Amino acid sequence: MPTNPSSSAAAVWAVLRKECLSEWRTRYGLNAALLFAITSLAAVSFSIGRLGDRSDVLAGLLWIVLLFAALASLAHAFVREVEGRTLTMLRLVAAPTAIAIGKLLFNFLFLALIEVVTVPLFLMLMGAPAPRWGSFLALLALGSVGLAIASTVVGAIISQTRGRGALFAGTSFPLLLPVVAAAVSGTRAQWNGGSVDAELRLLAAYAVALLAMSLLLYDHLWED
Amino acid sequence: MIGRALLFAWIAGWTIAAFAWAPLVPVLGETTRVLYFHIPAAWITVLALGWSMVHSLLYLRRRRLEHDDHAAGAAEIGILFCIAATASGSLWAKAMWGSYWNWDPRETSIFFLLLIYAAYLAVRSAIDQDERRARLSAIYSAAAFVAVPFLMFVVPRIYFSLHPDPIINPRGKIDMDPRIRVVFFALLIGFTALFFWMLSLRVRVARLERRGLAAQGGAS
Repeated sequence: MPTNPSSSAAAVWAVLRKECLSEWRTRYGLNAALLFAITSLAAVSFSIGRLGDRSDVLAGLLWIVLLFAALASLAHAFVREVEGRTLTMLRLVAAPTAIAIGKLLFNFLFLALIEVVTVPLFLMLMGAPAPRWGSFLALLALGSVGLAIASTVVGAIISQTRGRGALFAGTSFPLLLPVVAAAVSGTRAQWNGGSVDAELRLLAAYAVALLAMSLLLYDHLWED
Repeated sequence: MIGRALLFAWIAGWTIAAFAWAPLVPVLGETTRVLYFHIPAAWITVLALGWSMVHSLLYLRRRRLEHDDHAAGAAEIGILFCIAATASGSLWAKAMWGSYWNWDPRETSIFFLLLIYAAYLAVRSAIDQDERRARLSAIYSAAAFVAVPFLMFVVPRIYFSLHPDPIINPRGKIDMDPRIRVVFFALLIGFTALFFWMLSLRVRVARLERRGLAAQGGAS
């Protein structure tokens, strides 16, 4: 098991590369997630229409669409290993923490890619007023980090249960709720011309606290 | 046996006192009495969740299944008290605020606790093997533990309280009539004892079940 920092960084990098490669070969996870995100966005837009003058509602809807995208796709990274029976092999070559961090980075990239497509479409379809880009992008970035950290922890647990995908949404929601609540409040504030500093600090603090706790926990993830 | 009878008599006696002896608060009127049952239930909700999480962490450290029995038992009993607190609070809100649910900060935080309990028990129900269930649900519990204080900070920023809460308000507590205070604390102690009694039964049952299974396994 690699203990010195350089080799565990190498292990994380290797896991991340392996994730990206195996995703790129089939692209089925990414396609499904993008399709899902666009479907939920279309459902929102279709049933509500343009809402340019209600930025408070827009903030909520934007994060609901992103939350759905995360719930639908981020368990995938761990569940795929269990379903493909490749987990044992992976455990032989890397420490649990390195695997988890590699998958966490992959989940973050995955979410970022979904947002690159979904968020501009959302802003156009809903007729949203122009966001304050600095605050808006900072909220999106920190919010996605939080979503990725929380769903990586829960995905790691859920992949070892009987329910797997079905359990993921319900069990990760309590951990995602602080992220969504702070992100919605911040997004609303940036459209109303308020300050988003407090929300950014909250998002960052939550991400750091949850990451620290999950790093302590990943050692216990596999024992049988 | 004697302890159980005493506990029963204590709770029954003070419940009668809550209706017959303690006075009503002017603004709250007849709804004053929810105080004696709703707040103890809410307190046990928090206590049980804390108990469950501490034992989850202890399990990860020591790997003794008794800690898992405590964590699971506290969560199972805690969710009952959580539902009782939510339902009684919602009924009270209908009487005082005119709607059953309004995402008041208190309502939001109890809903969040209910979610954590339900998710924790859902994780447990999806794993067959004892050690694995104990380990994975303890990991979930520890991760959820991080979210609790954050939600307490975030919620007040987003949802403003519909109404000043006359019961939680610390100034209100000092103004509390001495008779109300006596009944309230007596029932708080009573219900807390009830929780620990139920928990000890649950832990004993879990231990006996495991021993029974082990004996069966040994016989066959």
